[in-house]
Amino acid sequence: MPETLLNIQKLVFAYKNAGQTLAEVDFAVNTGEFVALVGRNGSGKTTLTRLAMALIKPASGTIYFQGKNTATMTPADMACGIGYVFQNPDRQIFRDTVAKEVAYGPQQLGFAPEAVNETVAWALSMTGLTELAGSFPRLLSRGQKQKVAIASAIAMQPKMLILDEPTSGQDPWDAQNLMELLTNLNQQGITIILVTHDMEIIAKYATRVAVLDRGHKVFDGTPSELFAGSHDIAAWGLLPPTAVALGQQLAGVNAQNETELVQQIMSIIKGRTGDYA
Amino acid sequence: MMAVNFEHFSYAYPNSGVVLDDITLDIPVGSFTVITGPSGAGKTSLALAITGVVPHYFGGRQGGAVQIGGITSAQSSMGELAEQVGTVLADYESQLVALTVAEEVAFGLETSGFNRSQIAERVSQALMLVGLAGLEEREVAGLSGGQKQRLAIAAVLVTAPDILVLDEPASALDPEGAAGIYELLHTLNCQGKTVVVVEHQLARVLPYASQVVVLQAGSLQFAGDLRQTLAFMWQQPELRLGVPPMWAIKLTLEEQTGLSLGDWKTEEQAATELNKLTRTCAEGVAKSA
Repeated sequence: MPETLLNIQKLVFAYKNAGQTLAEVDFAVNTGEFVALVGRNGSGKTTLTRLAMALIKPASGTIYFQGKNTATMTPADMACGIGYVFQNPDRQIFRDTVAKEVAYGPQQLGFAPEAVNETVAWALSMTGLTELAGSFPRLLSRGQKQKVAIASAIAMQPKMLILDEPTSGQDPWDAQNLMELLTNLNQQGITIILVTHDMEIIAKYATRVAVLDRGHKVFDGTPSELFAGSHDIAAWGLLPPTAVALGQQLAGVNAQNETELVQQIMSIIKGRTGDYA
Repeated sequence: MMAVNFEHFSYAYPNSGVVLDDITLDIPVGSFTVITGPSGAGKTSLALAITGVVPHYFGGRQGGAVQIGGITSAQSSMGELAEQVGTVLADYESQLVALTVAEEVAFGLETSGFNRSQIAERVSQALMLVGLAGLEEREVAGLSGGQKQRLAIAAVLVTAPDILVLDEPASALDPEGAAGIYELLHTLNCQGKTVVVVEHQLARVLPYASQVVVLQAGSLQFAGDLRQTLAFMWQQPELRLGVPPMWAIKLTLEEQTGLSLGDWKTEEQAATELNKLTRTCAEGVAKSA
């Protein structure tokens, strides 16, 4: 049985002068999962992840991390268990070289200098930043800064990484590169929660999707269940990936991705004529 | 008639190498031009060259020329160019300066000497257009990312520029919000504005783009209509990933069948044609059985 790493129960949260942002949300994540957290702007996704990090406190409800109630824990306590990567990496980068930036967390934890060097070298190599160790972080590209933020998070050797829309504003090349990095980290045992609007990414990389709609969790299951057509996902502000949407409009086709769609269309065409073999 | 004309334009920021190399490009009046390409291609620099921020704000070295509405950029000021070109930066928050939504939109008009009633009328029109009517008194700091992006667009629209340049205008938005921004830009385009956007996700602009420009490592790789440009990108292994999923499906099917399919701008068009294609085939099977 996989361990329940994060267990959120009946979580309620409201910002000052606003309605309930989260209404009795239950959300549990097991070790090794790759979960996408989706929903409209303002649906409560970022709030949920900030509560998980103890950056803000709930009005009611309980959050357990590795079985421990996090009510009395601080963001610094949580940072050893969960690495958080903000949407805008500029907000979390403040030292003058990439290596120093990545070393900051382990140094604050009181790691010995050799241990700091070791974990920094590992984090830089995992994220492909080794050659940029001496660079000034602010002059890097957005994709590279995003990786610096991830390297800083994994240098703390967390069990879980939460990333808030890491691919927004990135080109398809950087986005693919980032998703491959996250898949790699996930395979190394780091549990991933990805806040995203990108349905193609969910379909391709996530093992599970949770949907928030106006503060309520309205779906929790696999991407293929979400996009199967039995849920009115448009009401939650979601669109199925292109290949799934096209497949649903064609008789005899049921595709999860572009390759499957093309194969199924080709086999219908070939079934008739054999012309296009 | 050209809204913007780059003539052998090259540019380097101070203390940097050449970021744009010998660009010759026409952006026709009334076009919906999309600039795309991998990061570091020079897309933002090209967009900033239309606004005059490159080179007037950054300095650096320039070769060749950019003409904006007949004005040569190098021989005019950013202020002069701003009358013709409205800009929404990728980091749109950095261009928001006022406390409330209405004040933000009014700012550009106040500094241009409009009177109170003109300002009030234009501000309410601009906010209506971007879907922020009713939020006039809200604090800018309390808006969501998507609302701030819309506000930045309203603040630009209110000065009525002929050319709109937007760098990743939907980057912080959910799918509905992104579609809303592009429908808005399409409406403005239909009203005669020239629209230039930097966009990575070409799926968002398929229904609207009249010209797509591909940059790579500072060079102009290709400029053409949607069909020509996507076909070009599909042929280049390092650019193929930028082709939106719907066109990746179309181009793969064309390769495998030898057929020539339509220029799909919407999912409906794709579904209609694919339905026709597969249904004819299914009927053929029934007849031959």
